[in-house]
Order: sequence, then structure tokens, then C-alpha cells
Amino acid sequence: MKHTLVLLAGAFLLSGSAAASPAITLGASVQMTGPLANTGRYYRDGYEFAVKRINAAGGVKVGGQRYELQLKMLDNQSDVNLSVRQYTQLLTQDKVNFLLGPFASDFALADSSVAEKYDVPMIQGGGASDQIFTRGYRYIFGTLPVASKYFASTVDAMTRLEPRPGTAALLYADDAFDVAVADGTRALLVRSGFKITHDERYSSNASDFTAVVSQLKATPPDVVLVAGHETEVLNFIRAAKSLDFSPKLYAFTVGVPTADFRHALGHDANDAFGMTSWVPSAALKDPYFANAAAFATEYRKQMGYDPDYHVASAIADVEAFARAIETAGSLDPKKVRDAIAKVSFDSLYGHIQFNEVGQINLPQTVVQVQNDAVVPIYGQTGFLGKPVYPMPAWGHRM
Amino acid sequence: MLLLLQVLANGALLGGLYALMALGLALVWGVLNIVNLAHGAFIMLGAYVCYYLFTLAHMDPFAALPVAMLLLFCLGYALQRGVLNLIIRAPMFNTLLITFGFEVVITFLAQIVFSADFRAINPDYAGANVTLTGVTVPLVRLAAFAVALGLTAALSLLLNRTRVGRAIRACAQDLVAARLHGVEPRHIYALTFGLGAALAGAAGGLYGIVSQINPYIGGALTAKSFAICIIGGLENPFGVVVGGLFLGIVESLTSVYVGATYADVASFGILVLVLIVRPTGLLGRTT
Repeated sequence: MKHTLVLLAGAFLLSGSAAASPAITLGASVQMTGPLANTGRYYRDGYEFAVKRINAAGGVKVGGQRYELQLKMLDNQSDVNLSVRQYTQLLTQDKVNFLLGPFASDFALADSSVAEKYDVPMIQGGGASDQIFTRGYRYIFGTLPVASKYFASTVDAMTRLEPRPGTAALLYADDAFDVAVADGTRALLVRSGFKITHDERYSSNASDFTAVVSQLKATPPDVVLVAGHETEVLNFIRAAKSLDFSPKLYAFTVGVPTADFRHALGHDANDAFGMTSWVPSAALKDPYFANAAAFATEYRKQMGYDPDYHVASAIADVEAFARAIETAGSLDPKKVRDAIAKVSFDSLYGHIQFNEVGQINLPQTVVQVQNDAVVPIYGQTGFLGKPVYPMPAWGHRM
Repeated sequence: MLLLLQVLANGALLGGLYALMALGLALVWGVLNIVNLAHGAFIMLGAYVCYYLFTLAHMDPFAALPVAMLLLFCLGYALQRGVLNLIIRAPMFNTLLITFGFEVVITFLAQIVFSADFRAINPDYAGANVTLTGVTVPLVRLAAFAVALGLTAALSLLLNRTRVGRAIRACAQDLVAARLHGVEPRHIYALTFGLGAALAGAAGGLYGIVSQINPYIGGALTAKSFAICIIGGLENPFGVVVGGLFLGIVESLTSVYVGATYADVASFGILVLVLIVRPTGLLGRTT
């Protein structure tokens, strides 16, 4: 009896040490609390989901040795200064191997400087501002489409609508990302022959849009394009309804594809156009999940909500690291950085291949809320669905 | 011209809501000399109370306002009686710190309990409006405006015409004299703080009907309420209404004629100007 116990204990110890295979730690500071937690949590969930799956599939193989992926995530409380300190801490004290990104452009903009300073690669799927990638940095990679082209597919679709809209209003928040979107969109609109009737910048987190909507209503444009945050989009739509303003089409950079948005607005979410860099289709194959559609079902079952492009982008970031580390056959940050620059693989998020500045080339798919569901409307290949256009006036909706 | 009228109408309606937001803060500040940094968090809680009564109990959001007020009153009363009364004689910095602490704790708990999802109180009639001589007036905002004015009038009556109101004012003016006349300050303080929280609760419900709710709306609303208190002065509730209307109209005008991004610059710029020129507020007595 005594011997069996000793044996059992020994076996237990052995198995314990065998399970503790060497680990590669990915560090990230994300918004788990604070005003950006609404979206920040998607990155937290996405990273965790991807790491769990990759480990279950055997982890990452480096030079014949299997490594387990580990996550070291800190909560930056939606404070950009804190996130910079946390990334520094992740590298200097916690000695993480590589970095995953935060949510939002202004965070990625500041935090990527830490990665660059310590020569440790960061792959981030939360910041799209062109500014992040035009500073000559070598260690920052991004998996969101370029901010300046966010509205490219929408403007493209607009040129093919019947009757073709002629005038457009551009509204945007005054942060790094939205200013970049507006700069790009302005050029796109002019190039496609639209007359810009309003070009208005508002403060981030503005809660009252009645003044802006009244201004739009005084000289109504055919189309209203809004680059802002989800809270502002909600406020804009509510103000538009209360002042009975309905252009032929309005489109928003963020919010529309999320379940949260439709839940908050109910039927008032209908007819809003938005965009997503990701549609969970079975055509998107993935090395760890069968395909994007299967992933979305599995994710929903485990996490209790539908994944959107933020989640998919976060997952692609982790997969890109796994892929690059295996190709580099080393944990040396410089070698892995060079391997990331050369990765080229199909993921559930799309084809991952970074250009010379570190961004991927991914078109936005135009979506519209129809009968309380998000419907893909326009993609690279043309129309995917029938748009509700022109939008019915508020009094004439179902 | 029509645009100007529309913008003035928008501004006034917005201002009414602003006034109600600031009213509770002004009351507590004026009587207890506490700048309640958790005021915005109370507004947020009020909004969630109405939201859940509307979505889960299918109550009309306006009918839910009294419930929100009652719950917030109890919370406010308990916080003052149990915590703030202990340090009411301490320097103002201590009360600032402790209400800041409340803000952090309430917001954090709200995120755990309500999640970071964005919500809106969206009854069928939320977008109803009437057009008067070309000016579109959203009915819900108009109703919110009326509720705000009604509560201000009620507060004014309470303070000026009732025994409790006299006791509240007495505590603010001369504590020793008030005690000599049998006023129990611990109770009166808690009552005042509770009233302030109840007003925040009502403001929250209305805010949820016209805007959106998440656990983090509090900070910005406290700042706005603070500006309105300074602009309107603390002496009487109608000063706060004037401050709120003034701010609402100025923000709307700035947004249209200067640029939407300057609305906050205008409101906080006015705050600084008022502090320099009329430190007792627009309606305050000049000393």
C-alpha cells in the first residue's frame, strides 16, 4: 500500500513535470475595463480562444521542440498612458517573448513605440490608422484594413446604386483613426464624383447630435458617412430619428456589425449601412479551425455571443505568431520579426500577408441591417445582396 | 433663419436635461459643501434602473422614473448616513476623495453587473416629433424638458415652503442655530444627499431615453453638471435651470456655427469666464 502511494505520487510528479513543456509567452495590454471595454473585451476573448485552440492542437513547434503558448494580459483600464507603461513592464519585468496589440488606433499608435524601442515584434488587430504604419517602424504589424480605405467599398457601392446619389456629408470624430478615415474618404468621394456638402469634425464621445443633424437637415445630402465610435453612432441615429431626418443612405465605420448595436437600437438599427473586414463564411479556411463559419458557431457556443471582425482579427494575430515562430525556428525576436514579414497563409479571418509597412490588404465588405439582421451587401466582386435604398423615411418603416 | 430657430429649440431642450442633471449636484454642493464626484455614476445607475424596468418589467420609462428616484434616494441616504457623515467636518479634499472612490467603485460594479454593452431606452414613441412652423420638436425631449422643469419647481417648493426644506436651508446657513432649533443634522444631511441622488436618478432615466447608456457615462456627466453648477450658481434651483439652458443653447449654436468639435471648448470656456467675471454664478448675488 505504502509503495503504491509512493509510486502514485511519483507518477503524479512526473506527469506534472511532463505537462510543463516550455512556453512562449505573448504579452498584451487590453481594455478590460473603462469606456473602451465594450470592444476591448473582444480582443481579450479572441486571444484566449486562439491560444487555447493552438495549444490543444499541439502548440508551436520550434526546432523539434513543442512549446505551449501562454498569454500574459494586463488591463489598461482604457488609459493609453497606462497601456504604454504596461507594455514596457511586459517586456522589461515579465519578459514576455512577443506582443499582441491593444484595441483602437491611438493605443496601437503609442504602444507600438514600445515594441519598436525594445525590438520585439507586435502583431495587432485593433488599430487601423495609417499613422501607425507610416513612421518607418519595423516591429509593428496590423491585421485591420487601412483606415483611409475603410469607406472605399461603400463609396464604390454608392456609384452603382440606382438612382445614383450625388451629394455626401462626412462626419468624423477627432481621434487618430477617424481623422485618417475622413482624409481617405474625402479623396475617394471627390474621385468618384460626389459633391461633399458637409465636412464636419466633432469631439470624440459627443453625446448630442441634434445640432449636427439639424444642420444636415437644413441642406440635406443624399448620403451621410460617419466615422466615429459606437456610442456616437447610436446617438446619431437616435437624434436623426427624433428630428425625422433620413438621407437616402447612411453608413458608419463601426458598430453596425455588432450584436450590441442591434440590441441597443432595436428596429431603429434597420437600414443602417456599415462595414466589416470579416464575414464568417465557410470559404475562409483556417489551420486550426475548419473554416470561419465553423469557428463562428463554436465561438458562439462557448462565449455566448457572435464573434465579429475584432475577434477574428485577434485570432489571426495569434495564428500569425504561431506561424512565424515555426517558420523562424527560433524565439529570437529579430528572426521572428523577419518571419512575420514573410508569412502568407489563409486564416479564418482572411489571407494573412503583410505589405512593406506591416499592414495586410483586406477589403471591407459593406453590410446593412435588414429586418434586424446583418446582411452582406457589397464586396470585391460586386453586390452580394440587395440593399434597401433609398432608406424609407422614419414614419414609413416597419 | 429656420436653422437658427431649430438650433435654439434643440439647445433649449438639451439644456433642460442638463439642468436636471446638475440640480442634484447643486443641492448637495450648496447644502453639504460636498462636490459629489459620484453624481454622474448616480445618473448612470438611474438610467440602468429605468432601462431594466422598461425591458424586463415592460414599464413605461416615464413611469419608471419615480422608482429610479426612490431607489437612488435610498442609496444616497445610506451613503451619507453611513459614510459621508463621518467626515462631513473634514476638509473638502477628503469628501472629494471619498466621492471619487464611490465613483470608481460604482462604475466598476456596474460593469460587472450590467456588462459593458451599450444600451438605450427605446420605447416605440422615442422618435415621435411634431413640426411647428418648420421647427421639428422631438416629443420625448420635450417631455424630458417638462419633467426637468417640474422637478426643479418641486425642489424649489420643497426648500421654500416645507418644514424639511427650511431645515435643509437652515443647516446650510447656520448649523449651530439650526441645531438649537431642534434640527437633526445627520438626518437632514442624509435626506439632502438622498434628494440629490434621486434627482440624478430621474436625470439618468431621461438621459437613457434620448441617448445611450453604458457604465462609463458618469464621468463626463459629472463634469458637465459641475460646469452648469458654476455657471448657474448654487443659490437657488432656478439658477441651475438658467445655467443648463444657457449651456445647452451655447453648445448647439457653437456646434452649428463654429464647428461640432468646439462644443466642449465653448462650455468649459464659459465656465472659466463665469468664474472670472461672476464667481457666484449668472444668477448669484454679487458680493
